[in-house]
Amino acid sequence: MQKHRSSEIAASVLQPTTPLDIGARNQRRRIIDAIVDSCAEKTYAATTITDIVGRARISRTTFYKHFEDKRACFDAAIGYCIEQLQEAAAAAHAVEDTPDDAVRKGAAVVIQALAERPGLAQLLTGDAIAVDPRVIECYRKATIPAIEGLWSGSDGSAKAHSDPRLAFGQAQVLILNQIAIGKADRLPELLPEIVYLAVNPFGGHEAALRQSQLASESAISGVAPGER
Amino acid sequence: MSDSPEDLRRWRLPRGRHGLPRELVERSQRERLLAAVVKVTASKGYESTTVGDILGEAGVGRESFYELFDDKLACMLAAHKLLVDDLVERVREVYLDEGAWTARMRRALAVTLDWFSADPETARFTLVELTTVGPAFRPIFQAEFARAVALFEEGMDDGAPKPELAKANSLAVGAILARIYEEVVLGRAAKLPRLLPDLTYELLVPYVGEERARAAAQA
Repeated sequence: MQKHRSSEIAASVLQPTTPLDIGARNQRRRIIDAIVDSCAEKTYAATTITDIVGRARISRTTFYKHFEDKRACFDAAIGYCIEQLQEAAAAAHAVEDTPDDAVRKGAAVVIQALAERPGLAQLLTGDAIAVDPRVIECYRKATIPAIEGLWSGSDGSAKAHSDPRLAFGQAQVLILNQIAIGKADRLPELLPEIVYLAVNPFGGHEAALRQSQLASESAISGVAPGER
Repeated sequence: MSDSPEDLRRWRLPRGRHGLPRELVERSQRERLLAAVVKVTASKGYESTTVGDILGEAGVGRESFYELFDDKLACMLAAHKLLVDDLVERVREVYLDEGAWTARMRRALAVTLDWFSADPETARFTLVELTTVGPAFRPIFQAEFARAVALFEEGMDDGAPKPELAKANSLAVGAILARIYEEVVLGRAAKLPRLLPDLTYELLVPYVGEERARAAAQA
């Protein structure tokens, strides 16, 4: 049985865990869902192992087979969530898409996924950072190189127009605010701004504005132009 | 310390008869408690801070604490409000003054960076610890974010550029908050003022495009 230690948070994002048998994998998923839900409801600090095992409907023994402690479980949960969002974003665009289009589509999928699980959005943008600010670095590692990679030519480097790290922080603040005003389910309303922020660092201001415009049109019609 | 009957008698006198008016005593107690909650929370974290810690730091008794605040959270939020009010007041002074919008914006940004760099404990308390208080955090974050965006808009006179993005002002406030938050979390609050040119540039791009933003940032 594979255990996660706190220091493995970054590693777990980059290297998907070795497949466990189906039963154990289901248990692990249930534990992860349970800690995410509990933290969203009452914060990480107030969440106890009892809360987690109660929600996941497993025994304490089972919990400790998977994780050393609450913190290890939390780190694994955050790592898992990042991984899921990353995969969804990567799957959202086609090879022939321009970098601008690919980023817009990826952003739309991630925002949609967060809107469907407001508790998760809240956890990732608030509590997770309070528990360990280094998690921001994990988010960036999961997003910025992927975005930059879309622009980099054969020489492997993309020219930055503005600081992608700041753009990332801005997106985080906007999402956090949307959650704070109790409109987590309406996160897609932020899509034009999020798309602007995602395109701007490597695509530049003009391209970012164009994609932002496309995103707001798709928000009105419900379908992104050129999709499907 | 002497144990003269005179001193003991004075000690037992009800409040308000030892020279300081009751309101003044309470005010200074309140101020001491607010300063204490900032200091203790910034170093221990909100969750591990107890009312006892705050009392110890402030040198105030438990009864007095509960006369002034319902609980630890109420004390923390009062301190938070006081700090944010102070920051907003200082920013208003320069931002709503005379002059071109870009120049006023740059000055307001400078004041903000200076404020957060002046005392790393206060910066950490104001930005980082607030996120750990649980559900009470959300309405406060929302209200303060809205207040910041409103202030940003208040300073945008007719001469200010019209951004092409609908929520450009939220984006601008988000940029300031995100940048300062990161530096504070990483323990680099003291170095915030040197970010002024970069942050000015990043803020202005959505309003005036890359070239003009670069020129304004280097002004």
